[in-house]
Amino acid sequence: MAVVSVMEVHALRKRFGTVTAVDGVTFSIAAGEVVGLLGPNGAGKTTTLHMILGLITPDSGSISLFGRELARHRTEVLSQVNFAASYLGLPGVPRVEELLTAYAHLYGVRSPRRRVAEMVDLLDLDDLRHRPFRLLSSGQQTRVLLAKSLLNEPALLVLDEPTANLDPDVGDRVRELLLETAARSGRAMLITSHNMREVERMCDRIHFLAGGTIVATGDATELAGAYGVADLEEVFLKVARE
Amino acid sequence: MNGTSVLLPPNSLAARRRRVLGVVFRDFVALRRNPPRMVEVVFWPTIEVVQWGLVSLFLQSHRVPTAMALLLGAVLLWQVLQRSQAELSLAFLEDVWSRNLLNVFVTPLSTSEYLTGLLVVGTLKTATSTALMATLAFALYGFGLVSIGPALVPFMAVLMVMAWALGIVAMATVIRFGASVQTIAWMLSFVFLPFAAVFYPLSVLPGPVQAVSHAVPASYVFEGMRAVLTGGSPSWSGLAVAAVLDVVYVAVALFYLGYALRQARQHGRLSRFAE
Repeated sequence: MAVVSVMEVHALRKRFGTVTAVDGVTFSIAAGEVVGLLGPNGAGKTTTLHMILGLITPDSGSISLFGRELARHRTEVLSQVNFAASYLGLPGVPRVEELLTAYAHLYGVRSPRRRVAEMVDLLDLDDLRHRPFRLLSSGQQTRVLLAKSLLNEPALLVLDEPTANLDPDVGDRVRELLLETAARSGRAMLITSHNMREVERMCDRIHFLAGGTIVATGDATELAGAYGVADLEEVFLKVARE
Repeated sequence: MNGTSVLLPPNSLAARRRRVLGVVFRDFVALRRNPPRMVEVVFWPTIEVVQWGLVSLFLQSHRVPTAMALLLGAVLLWQVLQRSQAELSLAFLEDVWSRNLLNVFVTPLSTSEYLTGLLVVGTLKTATSTALMATLAFALYGFGLVSIGPALVPFMAVLMVMAWALGIVAMATVIRFGASVQTIAWMLSFVFLPFAAVFYPLSVLPGPVQAVSHAVPASYVFEGMRAVLTGGSPSWSGLAVAAVLDVVYVAVALFYLGYALRQARQHGRLSRFAE
C-alpha cells in the first residue's frame, strides 16, 4: 500500500533581516507518523512550525498539506490541522468548557457539545470544566490546550514543546494518550521538544536542526550511532556545541 | 483525511455560520464572566449622559436655546461611533492580551468570519449602551433620542459603519506595529472628533479644516442632527455622500488589514503575539 503523505516541505527558506532562520529545510510526514524537530534555541524549529501553520510566509520553498497548498486552500487544510504550544494561552475569564465549546465551533465541529464532553473525558478535565482558564495551574492549562488541539480530530497535530509545563507523571500520561489516539486514528504528529526522553519515546523519525538547516535525520538509535554517542541527549549536546 | 466525520464540510455555509458563532459565543461568555467589562459597557455612557445633561441644564437656565437637545443628541450619537470602534478594537486586543491570537489564526476561521463575529458582538454591546443612555437621557432630562425622527436610522448606520472602519484600522495597526501601539484602540475615534463637528456646526471651523470635515462621514450626521433638532430637515444628499464615504473608509480599512496581515506574516510579527 502506498504511503500517504500528510505534509511535504521542500527547500524552505526564511530570513529575518540579516539572520537566516531557516535555510533549505526539506522533509515530509506520512499518515500516522510522528516526526520530531530537535535543535538548540534559535535553530529554526518554531519558525519552521509557524511557516507550516501559515503564521509566517516563507521567502522560498513550498509547503503542501494533504496534497494542497496552504495559502490557496487555507480553510480546508486548517480544518484538518491543530496546534498546541506551551507559550500560547486562552482567554482567562471563560470557563474551560466554554472555551472548548467556542473552539469546537471555530473548527466547524458537527456536534460541539458532544465533542467537548469527549475531550473533557479524554484529558481528565471533569473537575476543571467549570473553572476559569486563568485560575488553572500551568499544567492544567496545558491539558486544556491539548484538549483544544484534539477537538477537530486533526490529521496532522503540530506540537511545540507540548509537555513543557507538565510534571513527569502527567507528562507521561499525556504522551501515552497522544500516541494512543494517534495510532487509533492514523494521525500524524510534528513535535518540537527539549525533552530528549520524550522525543526518543514518541518520534518515529527525528530531524536535527542547527543554524536553520537539517544536519541529521534518523530515529533515536540511528542518530546516536551516527554521532558515536550513547543516546539522543548526547547527540543534542554534540550538535549544539559544534 | 481524518477528521471529516466530526467536522462539517469546511467550506459549507453551515461551517461558516458555526465559525462566526464561535467568535460570538466566545466573546459573549468572556463578557458574561467579566463583571468589570460589563460595568464598562454601561459606566462611561452613563457618566457622559449625566455630565452633559447637567451642562445642558445649566446652558438652558441661561437661555441658550435648544442646548439640551443639541448637546444630548450629540453625546448619544458620538457614543455610537466611539463605543462601536472601541468594542471592535478591544475584542481583538483581548486575543492579544491572552496570547490567544495564534490559536485563532491557525483555525479555519477566515478574516471575514472573524470580523463578522467581532462586529456582531460589538454591535450588541453598542446597542445595549446606547439604549441605556437614551433611557437615561429621557428619564433624567426629558430628551428622547427618537425626537430625531426617521433620520435616526441612517444616522446610526453611517456612524456604525465608520466606527467599524476605524476599528479595523486600529486592529491592522496593532498587527502591523505590535502591541506597543495598542492605545490606538482607545484613541482613534477621538482623532476624528474635531473634524466630525460633534458639538458645533461645521461653519465655525476654519476653511481648511472644513475641507477635511467634508471627508469625514460623521460630520454629515452631526450637521443633519442639528438641522432636525432645530426644526429643519436633514440633508439627504449629505447623508448619501456620508454613505459613499463609509464605503470608501471600509474598503481602505480592509485593504490596510490585508496589507498588515501579509506584512506580519512576512516579517514574523504574528508569531511575536505569543510572547
